[in-house]
Amino acid sequence: MSVDLSTKFGHITISNEVISTVAGGAAVECYGIVGMASKNQLRDGIAEMLRRENFLRGVVVRQEEEKLHIDMYIIVSYGTKISEVAHNVQSQVKYTLNKTVGLSVSSVNIFIQGVRVISE
Amino acid sequence: MTLRKLDGKTLAEMFLQGAHHLKSNSQMIDALNVFPVPDGDTGTNMNLSMSSGAEEVKKVEEDHAGKVSQALAKGLLMGARGNSGVILSQLFRGFSKALEDKESITTKDFATALQGGVTTAYKAVMKPVEGTILTVAREAGEASAELAEKEEDFLPFIEGVVDAARTSLKGTPELLPVLKEVGVVDSGGQGLLTIYEGLLANLKGEELPEQSSTISMGDMVNAEHHKLAQDFMNTEDIEFGYCTEFMVKFEEDKLAETPYDEEAFRQTLSEHGDSLLVVSDEDLIKVHIHAEYPGNAMNLGQQYGSLINMKIENMREQHTSIVGEKKNTKPREKAEYGIVTVAMGEGIKKLFESLGASVVIQGGQTMNPSTQDISDAIVEAHANHVLILPNNKNITMAAEQAAELADVKAAVIPSKTIPQGMSALLGFNPEADISTNKEEMSSLMKHVKSGQITYAVRDTQIDGLSIEKGHFMGIFEGKISSAQKDKLETSKALLKEMIDEEEDEIVTVITGEKVDEQEIEALEAYLEEHFEDIEVEIHNGGQPIYSFIFSVE
Repeated sequence: MSVDLSTKFGHITISNEVISTVAGGAAVECYGIVGMASKNQLRDGIAEMLRRENFLRGVVVRQEEEKLHIDMYIIVSYGTKISEVAHNVQSQVKYTLNKTVGLSVSSVNIFIQGVRVISE
Repeated sequence: MTLRKLDGKTLAEMFLQGAHHLKSNSQMIDALNVFPVPDGDTGTNMNLSMSSGAEEVKKVEEDHAGKVSQALAKGLLMGARGNSGVILSQLFRGFSKALEDKESITTKDFATALQGGVTTAYKAVMKPVEGTILTVAREAGEASAELAEKEEDFLPFIEGVVDAARTSLKGTPELLPVLKEVGVVDSGGQGLLTIYEGLLANLKGEELPEQSSTISMGDMVNAEHHKLAQDFMNTEDIEFGYCTEFMVKFEEDKLAETPYDEEAFRQTLSEHGDSLLVVSDEDLIKVHIHAEYPGNAMNLGQQYGSLINMKIENMREQHTSIVGEKKNTKPREKAEYGIVTVAMGEGIKKLFESLGASVVIQGGQTMNPSTQDISDAIVEAHANHVLILPNNKNITMAAEQAAELADVKAAVIPSKTIPQGMSALLGFNPEADISTNKEEMSSLMKHVKSGQITYAVRDTQIDGLSIEKGHFMGIFEGKISSAQKDKLETSKALLKEMIDEEEDEIVTVITGEKVDEQEIEALEAYLEEHFEDIEVEIHNGGQPIYSFIFSVE
């Protein structure tokens, strides 16, 4: 699947991999996220945190008609305000996609798959 | 006076003043906000978070430093807003953790707590970005450890921490390119420094000015402008056209009539535009606003005193010259020749345009343009001479009529098919007169053979063929030459009939909207295999009704 843009010079096709890479990259720069989780975690029942190189498994890009939806599966740090961290991810992802690929995202859905407790 | 021990009450007061100082500077911090999302709310978010912390601190009745810090951390956690607010809550969570059981604290304890905050804050991020509030917190924390080694008195100790934070903040543009580009320091870092400054001021028993001196109005204006530039903006999208800056010098008698309230003034101004900045002290107000009616904004300022240092720039003019799309106000010059043609499908329209057509009317077999449509197109072509290619025999009459009615010299080249229209266009000579062109182009179009593939909408008997509904028909120069169930087989049969290997050189295939890649590939393979000396060109025409249009010459 891919997203097509028309410009006066021709067409631009952006694959979903690009969108999820940009979205994932933007998300991990957000404060409070300690990792991306596999979207299959619920099914697997294993709290597996994805390593950096394959965190994209936690980003799902869906296209419904003309609209673009992104689902992100994340693990947040214990002791942060989770709703706020999620909200930051949403706005950061939306902004970054708009800035770098000129895409306007209809929704960024955040699934918090885990909380990592760090010994203090 | 030396202060070696900090009790809970003093610490609480310090926190409250830190929160208050942040609050009075939050607008300035908002303006600095360019990273990560330039939405200008870092100061507001930090202020709301810190205020929530301060509310909890006020509830503590015990004189216990650990409990006070814990209350602050709890309030921050609950009230955390935005990225910077969450980071702030983590910094103080670590801070309070380190002081948990301390009734009163020494400089060493304070340093340990600061570092604890940094450690906690860094743990909660996957990819710490340097040049942000995290860097300022870390460098101030590191400095505090060294300071605590030799300093037991809180006043010089906190002074040292504030200095370290300030130095660190100054370095943020070097670490984060986006800050350097705009020429500002990090907004979150500025927020943290502002809190630290508040702590220090409380220890010193000082009142702090409303605005921190580290940022100039110029910096803030830069930041505001940068925010706009980051948007993808068209000139038409500029809602407020004038970048307006002015200062108001307070006048006693005017103030007596209209007392000045910064918050209210900002609120009123905000209705007149955006990118608003209002900074004031005892003598002056500085205003920066993007307004559609700059005079109105200035009138508002004049209520409080006289205007000085005014500057207004027209941003639409600036923007059009930047993007190089300065609108030509002179009327477009009339061209010598204009070409009007009729086509169906985006791809074919583009093909015609690339061949030199000035206006392509959408239409064709099932959608014949009217005489009026063609007349309009002749006007639109804006030329002294207009050539019309109808590309369909049903449109020729309308085209002739439109040519007669036209105010300019117009001639119709009676092309009956798209391929004819295209070859005719190739014969166009801008140097020749209109009758020569008509003659040349008409003769050229006779050299091309046109074929089309379409489907039958009902059962019928025609040209000696019986056709079932849904079958494909190959039409060669207006006559149905074959009809089969399979699109590809029909195409092959038609091509075979059209192509004379001795005479023909080029086959052009224009694909319609209901044709897939595989079909095109199969057809191409067939042509290459059976007619090896013939050159094949394939264009995406995107036309409805006709799956393929073939042109053989």
